[in-house]
Amino acid sequence: MNMDTEQLIIRLAQDVPAVRRHAVARRIALGMACGAVVTVALVLALLGIRPDLATAVHGFPFWMKWAYTISLGALAISATARLARPTGVSLKPLWPLAVPALLLTGIGIGELARTPAQQWLAMWLGASWKVCPWLVLMLAIPIFIGLLWSFRKLAPARLRAAGATAGLAAGAWAATIYCLHCPEVSALFVLTWYSAGIALAALLGALLGPKLLRW
Amino acid sequence: MRHSEQQLRAWMTGGLDGDAAAHAALLRALVPLLGAFFRRRLSGADADVDDLIQETLLAVHEKRATYDRGRPFTAWLYAVARYRLIDHCRRRRATVAAEDLADILATEGFDNQVSARLDVERLLDGLPPKQARAIRATHLEGLSVAEAARTSGLGESDVKVSVHRGLKALAARIRGGPPS
Repeated sequence: MNMDTEQLIIRLAQDVPAVRRHAVARRIALGMACGAVVTVALVLALLGIRPDLATAVHGFPFWMKWAYTISLGALAISATARLARPTGVSLKPLWPLAVPALLLTGIGIGELARTPAQQWLAMWLGASWKVCPWLVLMLAIPIFIGLLWSFRKLAPARLRAAGATAGLAAGAWAATIYCLHCPEVSALFVLTWYSAGIALAALLGALLGPKLLRW
Repeated sequence: MRHSEQQLRAWMTGGLDGDAAAHAALLRALVPLLGAFFRRRLSGADADVDDLIQETLLAVHEKRATYDRGRPFTAWLYAVARYRLIDHCRRRRATVAAEDLADILATEGFDNQVSARLDVERLLDGLPPKQARAIRATHLEGLSVAEAARTSGLGESDVKVSVHRGLKALAARIRGGPPS
């Protein structure tokens, strides 16, 4: 064996701390939680909690929005955890993401059926369609940075895919936190404008992944 | 010498539990494996091969938390080596064929060891639970008949008979005969 290699092994063997089980999941959860704390602080400082939150949590729209963003966030984070290992190369874990989108589409079709056609546009655009995607994208950035920190100890083999799912997870959890501020109630609004913000975050992740996730 | 998947995995999990000697043994055992892997894929360029071996050892060390203890070690190892190879070629603007992990394991001679373990588990699942437990204890976990009898709460002769009947049934199944 090459002398340099032998010396490298001796040096590496001096630093062998025990690794806890589920180290990958812990690392991802920690990075995400730190980012989420910053995002919550940004919502509190810049946007404010919706004043009617206490009554909204007794209504359907609030939970519909949370069910959508939380299920996307959970699926995206589990896909990210798979892609964070060098053996994780399959993109099949992304298929379940279609389920929440299809369910919300179903609710949206019900909404259209119950609403007169001349009000469709107003319902779809709500009061905040112009800012919603951009706010979700902005709020996703701290969580994305938290995940980038997580990835420093991880080993993704597909950098673009891992970046995209990390961005998607950051976007979905940012949207979850944004629900504390946003008073919109329409399923079609959420399906379009929330999803647009989450997709922008995923796109950002896909663009940055190959540069920032290299190891 | 060349070590088995089972031995490499034992060293890896030892290292993950904080055993520095196991970790060093693992890294030493990986040098010839990685050398063969990279040499096969980079014709000539011995300096490159040495660099890649060292970079991969470093990656195995730094990224060891991403190995899942329940999964085959060599699959993880060659996934790391494959990433290092692709990254190396990207930096040199050279191209390299991106092979499937399954193909790599086959070329490096580890696919049988990884799938053999799964096959054994599948066969044992087809036996009565008592026989399967007796065979697992004495033939896979390496217990003596006396130890196996104690842990399962059976008599020694009972364990012996279970192992005997179970192995006979497995042999019959592998030969394709009807289960006896």
